[in-house]
Amino acid sequence: MSEHAAEYCKPELMACCGAREIKDHNLVLVGTGFPTMSANIARYTHAPHARLMQESGVYDAQPKRPALSVGDPCLNPGAAMIGGLVEIMGMFLQAGWVDIGFLSGSQVDKFGNINTTVIGDYAQPKSRLPGSGGANPIGSLAKKILIIALHDTRRLIERVDFITTPGYIDGPGARERWGLPADTGPEVIITNKAVMRFDKSTGEAYLESYHPDTSVEEVVRLTPWKLNVADDVHETEPPRVEEIRALREILDPNRMIRLYEGRGYV
Amino acid sequence: MSKVMSMKQAIAKHVNDGDFLFIGGYICRTPFAAIHEIIRQQKKDLTVTRSNAADDFDMMIGAGVVKRFIATFLSLGFYGLGRCYRRSLEQGIPHKIEVEEYTNLSLPMMLMAGSMGMPFIPVKDMAGSDLLNVKSFMGDNKYKIIDSPFDGAKTVLVPALNPDLAIVHVQQADEDGNAQMWGIGGDCQVGANAAKKVIVTCERIVDREVIGKDPSRTIVPDFKVVAVVEEPFCAHPGYTPGFYDFDFNFGNLYKNASSTVEGFQAFLDEWVYGVTGRAKYIEHYIQKMGYGAYRNLQAKFDYGYPVSYAY
Repeated sequence: MSEHAAEYCKPELMACCGAREIKDHNLVLVGTGFPTMSANIARYTHAPHARLMQESGVYDAQPKRPALSVGDPCLNPGAAMIGGLVEIMGMFLQAGWVDIGFLSGSQVDKFGNINTTVIGDYAQPKSRLPGSGGANPIGSLAKKILIIALHDTRRLIERVDFITTPGYIDGPGARERWGLPADTGPEVIITNKAVMRFDKSTGEAYLESYHPDTSVEEVVRLTPWKLNVADDVHETEPPRVEEIRALREILDPNRMIRLYEGRGYV
Repeated sequence: MSKVMSMKQAIAKHVNDGDFLFIGGYICRTPFAAIHEIIRQQKKDLTVTRSNAADDFDMMIGAGVVKRFIATFLSLGFYGLGRCYRRSLEQGIPHKIEVEEYTNLSLPMMLMAGSMGMPFIPVKDMAGSDLLNVKSFMGDNKYKIIDSPFDGAKTVLVPALNPDLAIVHVQQADEDGNAQMWGIGGDCQVGANAAKKVIVTCERIVDREVIGKDPSRTIVPDFKVVAVVEEPFCAHPGYTPGFYDFDFNFGNLYKNASSTVEGFQAFLDEWVYGVTGRAKYIEHYIQKMGYGAYRNLQAKFDYGYPVSYAY
């Protein structure tokens, strides 16, 4: 039994939840923020042979500070390989090498579909968002997708306004019908309240664990679809001492991760 | 034969109204000086493309030079959504651009297909998403779905792209246009080679002999290049590995300025219309931000083991 950190912020807990999904030797396609923190926590604890890559073209970067974008200058010196999008998204992701992909979005639904394109009508948008970028191919082709989301009834939604990135689309069998590779798709939604895991037989996310300061009731209330609850639902394991040590002593000594608290991850 | 010319000449001579342009960069090595010159010369009705656009494309859209955008993404990243992009699509300011949406896999593959003279290419993404349900100016030619003639599997095909012109920024090139880059590549190499002709902007012009000391770094050969522009600091506020860092403060400046139509116009008046070219831009930058800020952006040196091709 590991010892747990006495004090931590919610984004740190979420980063640890992500890290625990990563196995040793996994290839992880990351963006910035949580994904990088999670993948690196894993590397410094239970998965020393996990390797990171960024879609912009970088494999196994050795940044001296947290990268603020996937094109960040700090990703260049020390990397094992630098190519471009064709190498990472084509040769590695499309060719089936990537084990883990992280995604987030302005809307996430119960099937793990993600919207980063538009709020409201596509032709007359209420709010125009950035678009797919790498999200759609990552969600289509990485073996395991970890979704990071804010837990409220605006971000989590019964049905997204626009499927930028397919989860289980409209239920079981849909990915297969569309020809997406077997054994791919969303694994969990990690929010600031809970970890929701996907039931592959229904394609829906169910409540696996609730974070220490909340409850099954609160999570169910904040989830806009009828949330199934695991028989063995339990409190999320708090950050372990070694996880927090990797985060604060090596990866993020200035605790830039606290920026996420300002974005509502509390 | 030397193809060296000024940015002003290169853009005037090779960018025509209505052209289809690929503009390289991924925060890394974005040819901002070329983008500013396109805006200064008030080019019209351009179709533009590149994976992962940022303040560079946002600025062109706000300045009204873009008609159509073959897109994957546009955001200011750390600084939030693209304000000009939003105003264009939500409110038609200065006009509503037409957007054809792909992804950071499919678009590079379309450019790669174009670079190889292929008519189209199969991709494994976009299936099952609403990206297949929205079509703009490419209409039914945005994509096709077929049963693979090999194994019958449902397969998405996307068309090759061949831009009229590519503009890419690199660390060094010779006077004929052999262009060498290093660092994060994005879709720069496939975009440049897909285009019918290329403008190379570079931090420094070197002798052909220097190119030959490390020829594996060349991403586009001289025969595709129509102009070579030596333009130090060309990629600011983005960065060029080995030359200067990303300018985080300028990112904030652009975010704040572009938040309103008036602020954006003032930004253009000051940083684009208010200078004649990149040399004056650097002068203005130093005057406004201080020499220390400029100096702090300059890259440190960290050389590796020198490569040798001798036998």
